[in-house]
Amino acid sequence: MAKAFEQAVLDLLPRLRRFACGLAGSAADGDDLCQMTIERALVRRDQWQPGTRLDSWMYWIMRNIFIDEMRAARRRSETFVDEEAGLGVGSVGGQEARVELALVDRAMRQLPTDQREAVLLVMVEGYSYKEAAEIIGCPVGTLNSRLVRGRDALLGLLEDAS
Amino acid sequence: MTVTPELLAAYADGQLEGADKARIEAAIAADPALASQVARHRRLRKALAAHYAPVAEEPVPDRLAALLKPSGGAESHAEVISFAGARAKRGLLPAIRRWAPVAGPALAASLVLAIWQPWQGGLPEGYADPALAGVLDTRLAATQPADADLRILLSFQRQGGDLCRAWRGAEAGGIACRDGVGWRIERQFALEGATSGDYRQAGSEADIMSAAQDMAVSGALDAEGEERAKAKGWQN
Repeated sequence: MAKAFEQAVLDLLPRLRRFACGLAGSAADGDDLCQMTIERALVRRDQWQPGTRLDSWMYWIMRNIFIDEMRAARRRSETFVDEEAGLGVGSVGGQEARVELALVDRAMRQLPTDQREAVLLVMVEGYSYKEAAEIIGCPVGTLNSRLVRGRDALLGLLEDAS
Repeated sequence: MTVTPELLAAYADGQLEGADKARIEAAIAADPALASQVARHRRLRKALAAHYAPVAEEPVPDRLAALLKPSGGAESHAEVISFAGARAKRGLLPAIRRWAPVAGPALAASLVLAIWQPWQGGLPEGYADPALAGVLDTRLAATQPADADLRILLSFQRQGGDLCRAWRGAEAGGIACRDGVGWRIERQFALEGATSGDYRQAGSEADIMSAAQDMAVSGALDAEGEERAKAKGWQN
């Protein structure tokens, strides 16, 4: 049983890394966020109810950690992400691809967190509006409007730049 | 009918069914501008998915996978958490760095004895005993001896403004907050297993840290903040 939990989290790790990377803005910060998430999930594994979705639970933990960290950072007027470090996510092709990758990352970072997580959960992670709203802990209508605002901002940023 | 951007997005994301879906489809068929908005939405979705896909396809870094694997054949069921791997690699997330206990420089091994404060005797139930209170009053995370028997993990402020400190000893640890009476013990943890190498048994400091993080209104105090708080007797 104990082993099954760890194996299940391990199986989710690639997807968790993808979400973390999108939230935190770079692969390196994403992996740190992942580490915090795994550590918290291990400590609180008793709170997960077998039979419910482990992936939603893990995403929920991750976004809560991230939101907490953002709040703490804002209070200290620090930025969570070092703008100079870690631009560019994922595999890198030629120079052109590199520029384009950085563009999406930059655009995502300009979104408020609530819009960024809505965009990521639906448009990248492929959750339904209902599932994404449950992970975030907001009504479906709120999720829907955050998604639209985030999408419009992204389209503005990306289409202007290209 | 008016098609709101929300409805249109929900349609583009495949979230509509039945009558709603049919209505939007009819509206789109009648209005090329709506059709092009749906296409823009789907293009963006595709671009984002493609952008982040490589992260999920590459192998998971060892330091993350290691958190979920039992340590080399040990039969202990306790999960092993590596703090060292990440630090060695690139330092931790700024957020974690704030939470990491401020590691004291390796001072000459000196056992700092708790200061006995007789006026704190006879405290009501639930408060730190004089020995612990002495440590909480005086010891700073940044300057404590590396081998102190009671170690301050971090200090922070909780809702309402009370200053709190998390500590650990060899077998127990906890969180105490300073009020007008003394150091009220808020949380206590029995710790199992000793520290060995760079690996710590989970269910030790991680529990305390996580409890502290839940209580704190913001991050941990830095060395300067601790010094200031100490100067004011840990009271506001």
